[in-house]
Amino acid sequence: MPERTGPDPITAQVISNVLLSIADEIGMSLRRASYSTNIKERADCSTALFDARGRLVAQAEHIPIHMGSMVGAVRRLIAPEYLEQLAPGDVYITNDPYSGGGTHLPDITMVAPVFLPSGPDGDDGEPRLIGFTANIAHHSDVGGHVPGSNSGDSTSIFMEGLRIPLVRFATGGEVISDVVAFVLLNSRLPEERRGDLLAQTSALRLGGARLVELCVKYGVETVEAACEDMLGYAATRLAVAVERIPDGRYHAQDFLDADDAELGPIPVAVTVTVDGSAIALDFAGTGREAVVAINVVRSALEATVYYALKAALDPGIPANGGFFDAVTITAPEGCLVNPREPAPVAARTDACQRVADVVFAALAQAVPEIPAGSHSSITYVNFSGVGDGFYVYPEVIAGGSGAGPELDGLDAVQVHVTNSSNLPIEALEAEYPLLAERYELVPDSGGAGRRRGGLAVRRDIRILSDSAEFSAHADRQSIGPHGSHGGDDGTPGHFTVVRTDGSRERLPGGRVSGIRLGEGDVMSIESPGAGGYGDPRDRDPALVLRDVVDGRVSPDAARDRYRVHLVEGPDGLGVDEDATVSARS
Amino acid sequence: MRIGVDVGGTFTDVTAIDHDGGFHIAKLPSTPQDQSLALRDGVGDVLSGTATPAGAVRYLGHGTTVATNTLLELDGSSAALIVTEGFRDLLEIARQKRPSLYDLAGRKPRILVPRALTFEVAERVGASGKVLRELSDDEVARVVEQVREAGVEAVAICLLHSYRDDRHERAIADALAMSVPQVYVSRSSEVAPEFREFERMSTTVINAFVGPRMHRYVTHLADRTADLGIPVAPRIIQSNGGLVSPDSVSRRPVTTLLSGPSAGVAGAAWVAGLAGHRDVITFDMGGTSTDVCLISGGKAVTTAERSIEGYVVRVPSASVHTVGAGGGSIAGTDDAGALQVGPRSAGARPGPAAYGHGGDRATVTDANIVLGRQNPREGLGSAMPIDAAAAQAVVAEVGHPLGFDVPEAATGIVRLANSHMARAVRAVSVEIGEDPRDYALVAYGGAGPLHAVEVAREVGITTVLVPPHPGTLCALGLLVSDVRATFVQSVLAPLSEEALTDVTGALERLDEQATDWFDREQVPEADRRTVFTLALRYGRQNFELDVDLPPGRLDAAVLPEVAEAFHATHERTYGFRHADAGIRVVNATVTASQRTDPPVPGTLPDGDGDPARALRETRPVVFGGRELPTPVYDRSRLMQGDRLDGPAVIEQMDSTVVLTPGSHAVVDTYGVLHVEVGTDA
Repeated sequence: MPERTGPDPITAQVISNVLLSIADEIGMSLRRASYSTNIKERADCSTALFDARGRLVAQAEHIPIHMGSMVGAVRRLIAPEYLEQLAPGDVYITNDPYSGGGTHLPDITMVAPVFLPSGPDGDDGEPRLIGFTANIAHHSDVGGHVPGSNSGDSTSIFMEGLRIPLVRFATGGEVISDVVAFVLLNSRLPEERRGDLLAQTSALRLGGARLVELCVKYGVETVEAACEDMLGYAATRLAVAVERIPDGRYHAQDFLDADDAELGPIPVAVTVTVDGSAIALDFAGTGREAVVAINVVRSALEATVYYALKAALDPGIPANGGFFDAVTITAPEGCLVNPREPAPVAARTDACQRVADVVFAALAQAVPEIPAGSHSSITYVNFSGVGDGFYVYPEVIAGGSGAGPELDGLDAVQVHVTNSSNLPIEALEAEYPLLAERYELVPDSGGAGRRRGGLAVRRDIRILSDSAEFSAHADRQSIGPHGSHGGDDGTPGHFTVVRTDGSRERLPGGRVSGIRLGEGDVMSIESPGAGGYGDPRDRDPALVLRDVVDGRVSPDAARDRYRVHLVEGPDGLGVDEDATVSARS
Repeated sequence: MRIGVDVGGTFTDVTAIDHDGGFHIAKLPSTPQDQSLALRDGVGDVLSGTATPAGAVRYLGHGTTVATNTLLELDGSSAALIVTEGFRDLLEIARQKRPSLYDLAGRKPRILVPRALTFEVAERVGASGKVLRELSDDEVARVVEQVREAGVEAVAICLLHSYRDDRHERAIADALAMSVPQVYVSRSSEVAPEFREFERMSTTVINAFVGPRMHRYVTHLADRTADLGIPVAPRIIQSNGGLVSPDSVSRRPVTTLLSGPSAGVAGAAWVAGLAGHRDVITFDMGGTSTDVCLISGGKAVTTAERSIEGYVVRVPSASVHTVGAGGGSIAGTDDAGALQVGPRSAGARPGPAAYGHGGDRATVTDANIVLGRQNPREGLGSAMPIDAAAAQAVVAEVGHPLGFDVPEAATGIVRLANSHMARAVRAVSVEIGEDPRDYALVAYGGAGPLHAVEVAREVGITTVLVPPHPGTLCALGLLVSDVRATFVQSVLAPLSEEALTDVTGALERLDEQATDWFDREQVPEADRRTVFTLALRYGRQNFELDVDLPPGRLDAAVLPEVAEAFHATHERTYGFRHADAGIRVVNATVTASQRTDPPVPGTLPDGDGDPARALRETRPVVFGGRELPTPVYDRSRLMQGDRLDGPAVIEQMDSTVVLTPGSHAVVDTYGVLHVEVGTDA
């Protein structure tokens, strides 16, 4: 352990628990005071504390894509042109992926510098900058060409909504009404925006007051030293985990569905270099910028890499600057994961999922515990139309997660950078002129393997009003999630329209908009499954039997993929041991 | 005499109050194979110890973990599930979230009904309650036959929108009762008639899973208390803190799943009230975890839904936060060289090293023994020998890689555990926008009073209250809770004159349910109390707030008053109101209770303020890294008005109170210790 100069390590840990409490409190305050369901109930927001040098020390995040996505804004605030202007009572706002460190426009970041007032603890001079409080929240609308500001088919960021540069939202403790008016005029739901933005602001103030109290109680130097400890601890924990991986270069590549039929699928590639306790990820080999809104800006790439490393190496690594700064990430300019302004980014999460997939796949060459490929599609669908007034019903559909060496994949879950819940059937039918006809697992969608991939989900929605419009962004509709160590791939997803005359039409891909549906038409949504792990012929026949009895695997797949022969006996279905042994040999 | 018996994982606690207000307590090892054995013996001990005839028992309250353990140990009945066609996998898809954000090996909880035993029926009710597809007699007969062939002990029935129209569910339940009467039937429109299908289904399935065993237990329990000669039927506490008859529990055993913490919270609220405090945070520290709950204005914050090891239960309960830090929490260093305490626990077995049951990892209890805070020679009165040398050895092992000596390592373990618990205390208050410094901390559980003063100081709380018997407060809670049940009905209508009949219709149905329940519980007419509550929200929102309705009929004239009450609640909770937005009624609830007079506790004799009479010994205790000669008092010999200055230790049979330097305590009329935390470290 390095030489210590600060407080004893226990005091440092006690302080770090208080800092985490403060980050939690900012989040709770934000959720309590916010207007919109997205923040209040779905907790699509995160909060963080930074030290005076702009390093993230404590974060309360609910969604991995937010990990570190406030870092960019703070990094800019500590640059000289901003730093000199910072004053007590300031709150800064931004949502811009290219200049403000955001990942797409609906996520609005707010940051407040925190100053220790001159007084009992501080010196008599100027108030002293001791850190920053920050939060980020997903706003339900910031303008742009579609309601929700979250389209998959925009072709420029200028179509996606209002871009807010890093500017002051409050000064001297007062919200700047000109800025509020500017933002509100650009949203389809201005009153909701006002409430949510003020909730973000007041939560930051509360957090700032708590940070000042902490510094008064322990002294600024002690708190700073505790922050150093927290950063050092995260870096050590990452280093310990990386050292367990054999040195080497690990390469993996996967694909996103074509954004343009002529240009073909977009490769996403990574080379992970492990050298002792150092880890570097280079995304050379990744394809061009997409012409649709799936580009991944720097902060989204970082958040995804941090997620993948934490999950693959050690879930206990604290999400702070000590961890972030120890990871080297590079990507060629102009590629999908380092796009140039004004490339569109609204639906970046589908590509983030693929980035996580390739990082896992690369590390899997050295870490056998890493599972096979997961569904890794957001499968965001949106129905709108006129019922009891104009309505918009947005939904995300889960799928399978990849099988690991010891465990089957999970059926019907969200994976990687997102983890949002579904809308209950009874809620959707009460609110919209829609009827759910099926919501179920898809048999045989999980890749066969010694461990089976998780199953996909099917949700069928019937239109009850005269007409409706369907739009969506989903991926993995052409190439299924990969199997691992000899396991089969999972199935791709698809959208199918079943018209009242019984005709069926499979939509051409996952990124669609403006699909017209009439009364009685059914949209059948199926997400991707997930990859299996290990040779299917090594799967315990009893487990195959159980899956067949439960209807997760068909008898045909049991015979063809697992080479397990089943036979109806006096006690029900059983394994035909002899036939199975000979089929497997 | 009134008796409360609370069964915990390790001990069964009995608290009785006699007609003079005197308390009698007993603590026995629990009997997991049949929890009523320890109940029988504990009640027997108290009766014989006080020479009370069984016929003089006027009330027997019981807290049981049978349902909870059945779920946690996954040892329930084989069950089938009947669902609407097309929705076989609702239970498994749940809310589609993964169990752990970053753990790639995270598991979903084991499904309680296998997919093969989930049967679809052709039927459909729409969101408005309109039947879109009738359930045919043939279909009912077919599914009943499937259940019979499956040979299950229990069946859960949960059809879409059955909270609107329960006829299809009832038809199936009736047919099952006719054809397979031995099968336990759990029907969603009876168990949890609320909208949102997954939560309703999960609750209904868990009810089926624990139902048969709980039914057997309460039947057996009633026989056992009758055998003892106790003339009253036992009452069993539910998660909402209300007590009900064995019959009510048999119908909805799922309501008892979270009853343990609720009894403690009720006891803490009562003791705090005696001590003159209505705003408190409860701090219940046991062997494996610590539960904290906020009580505001004498009422515990409640929640409508909880998750137990990933199983979602839609049942009202005290909003208790649990943190994995308790006396048995294991301390050690992690890969990155930092000290960690918990969440792994040595539990009751092997337990702390000092208890000599084979524990070889340092626990929080071992650290307390090393520091001299917990008695280094004996525990539980004098019933249990303590191996202090073993505690020293395991704590030394933890300290070694950190370069800490034994007292430093023990201090570190206790401070870290306190820090985790402080985070939970902050969380329950800031979550609802309260400042914990405006609250007093009520310390109980075997280990709560050991840590409470330091935790309070860490959070900035100035007052700690220690009940007379902190180790048996849950049993006390059983004595002071009322006979009470809640019934919920989803409404989903605007709060408006036009839709008034939707609301009043639901209220009438609830009123009938309450009357049925009163009759079953044999509550005298004059003691029946009902309170109706509406769960309301603004139109676009997806979350509800409860508003109690004024007594009397709900008519158009009352609506503005209800609306204003909602706006005010919303403003108080969230800081703003939408005066012109429409309000929607999501659920209606009735709380039916029996008016009861709370017991009157006896008072302690006046002392002269000097606790010297209670001094047991002076032993060295480590505070802030320094060993201080510390007086150790016998709690049972303290008198009203005694003042104790920290550092001091107060020992009693079921717990140990630690007063840090700078704090002091005063004993009140009822024997509650009021600790002023002070600021001196």
